[in-house]
Amino acid sequence: MSSLPPLSRIASVLVGIAIVVTTLAMPGRARADDADAGMRERLAGCAVCHGDRGQGAHGAEYFPHLAGKPAGYLLEQMRAFRDGKRHYAQMIYLMQYLDDAWLAEVADWYAAQPPIVKQAESGTPMREVDVARARQLVFDGDPAKGLTACSACHGRALAGLEPGVPALVGLPTEYIIAQFGGWITGVRQSTVPDCMASIARKLEPTDLRIVATWLSRQAAPDGERPAAAGTRALPLACGDLPVEAAR
Amino acid sequence: MKASTKLRLLKLAILFPFVALAAVIGGVLFQAQGGFAALRVPHGDATPLATDAATLAHGEYLARLGNCVTCHTTRGGTPYAGGRAFRSGYGTLYSTNLTPDATTGLGDWSLAEFRHAMREGASREGLLYPAFPFDHFKRLTDEDLAALFAFLRQLPAVDAPRTPNALDFPASSRRLLLAWRMLFHRPHPFTPEPSQSEAWNRGRYLVDGLGHCAMCHSGRGAMASLPADRYLAGGRILGQNWYAPPLDTNSLARWSVDDLAGYLRHGVSTHGAAYGPMAEVIYVSLRHLRKDDAAAMATYLKTVPAAPAPVMSATERDLRQRHAAGRVVGTAGRRLYAEHCESCHGDDGRGRGLDYPPLAGNPHVVADDAVNSIRLVLAGGIPPTTPGNPRPHSMPPFSQVLDDAQIADVLNHVRSSWGNEATAIAPGDVRALRGSTLD
Repeated sequence: MSSLPPLSRIASVLVGIAIVVTTLAMPGRARADDADAGMRERLAGCAVCHGDRGQGAHGAEYFPHLAGKPAGYLLEQMRAFRDGKRHYAQMIYLMQYLDDAWLAEVADWYAAQPPIVKQAESGTPMREVDVARARQLVFDGDPAKGLTACSACHGRALAGLEPGVPALVGLPTEYIIAQFGGWITGVRQSTVPDCMASIARKLEPTDLRIVATWLSRQAAPDGERPAAAGTRALPLACGDLPVEAAR
Repeated sequence: MKASTKLRLLKLAILFPFVALAAVIGGVLFQAQGGFAALRVPHGDATPLATDAATLAHGEYLARLGNCVTCHTTRGGTPYAGGRAFRSGYGTLYSTNLTPDATTGLGDWSLAEFRHAMREGASREGLLYPAFPFDHFKRLTDEDLAALFAFLRQLPAVDAPRTPNALDFPASSRRLLLAWRMLFHRPHPFTPEPSQSEAWNRGRYLVDGLGHCAMCHSGRGAMASLPADRYLAGGRILGQNWYAPPLDTNSLARWSVDDLAGYLRHGVSTHGAAYGPMAEVIYVSLRHLRKDDAAAMATYLKTVPAAPAPVMSATERDLRQRHAAGRVVGTAGRRLYAEHCESCHGDDGRGRGLDYPPLAGNPHVVADDAVNSIRLVLAGGIPPTTPGNPRPHSMPPFSQVLDDAQIADVLNHVRSSWGNEATAIAPGDVRALRGSTLD
């Protein structure tokens, strides 16, 4: 060894270190990759409608995206399907024999995926008066009708709030309208006080369509994540929100 | 004597043998269904209920094995409070409240009345509908029944009035259930088989008793009866669009006792995974099964003699051959399989370990009644989470990806490959099951 020139010695030490570091680091990264691949494989049944990473799927645009939504919200929805609070046959069928531990892991995985990035959609142009009404309902509410602004809970960027308030951008009109219908008829329920049900029942049918259409056309330009828990005080008591305590 | 009186006497004389014969047959059938003893419901019983932890734990274990909670709870409802609907060709039946509420539940019941209901199928309500498996629970020992009742009686009492049944006549009449019983109910005492092992006897006790496996896995006869010659012979589950495979020495030949015991507790095996009603049974009941009890059930099930195959005429055999899936399958089915199925189930149809079930030789896949395969392709499926399989793999739903003809094509490929020789299914069979996601 002493016969080797100093530079080569340094080089061999460096190569040695590099090999050790790589071998130490690889299993960690490989493990993470394996875990990610393992989850994607296990969740193949979800991907058909919700996309490989919950970002939505082509040909299945009606179904909501899951990526980047608050884990507490996702868990609560899966439990609601399982426990008879939210009624959609396909989801009930798939969720009904899954326990909380697995549903929580699934919720955490989808929550950790990058939120969807989406350009604004134009579609058939909305009338200016409807856009103004939609913006009023979303950002100011309609106190005379007892309607709180959407943004009061879902945030000005409409990206949601941990742990239980989902983003409102990136959902199709049809899906949003269907949810309002579900709250009005009781097909979709939350723990009492069911704030979304009470809001849905106060919305005029025309307002409901205007808000749903406007929301579905908003851009989600930079994949904004839900705001951290506790960064906003909610103006409404909602039964599902202290999800962490319920877990 | 007047002529008319003579005639009347003559008529009586002719009728008498028939009336007498009817009475004798009626009497025999009445005795066969359990006689008067079955109808005499005891009330008062001063037997104190056990409250010690060991008995209650035993009672809870038995309640789980009996899967009481599945039938006696609505989705998301209070456990054991009843109200779940059971639909069949006879109308809708609602399960009852098993919690100890004094007016709507079992709070006012004695052990003697509970034991009588469990064994004889009669309570203060009158005769019980055979949807309640009293024919199976009859086999339970006194000790097990007492522990089970002690467990039910310490549940939180829930005021849950019964939902009235919505059955059509004559099923709507509890009195007329006596006629059904006289025709079909043949209680027979449970006697151990000394020539068989202790495990086998324990297995039979669990399978035929609390497990009431035959309620789904036996073939049904006239008026939803369970004829002895169709015992565990498989068939369409009453009131459901699901098929339960036969459980016998032939159909379970490739399962070892360990394979089968593991499947009962974990919901997956290298021979198949549990979906639909069996997923529910495992999720609620069998995942709590002790290892030795699972092995006992498997030991017994593997010895059940196969029911004789239905006799087919030459014409029927010929028709069957002409309707073999292999005769209608084309390249479309093979192509669809390669595109959508092969990555999990393999080009040899053997699946992958515990993750993906094999399709080659799978009894659900080759059954004449293709309802399970069609539903799994349409709606996908996830085996239940269990301690042995806490992070299950999933089968995607193809209802929006493939049309009826494509699903028939791919299933006909599966039903005629790797040695599978099943009958062909048509697009109409698929269409009929679209939308039956939860039935």
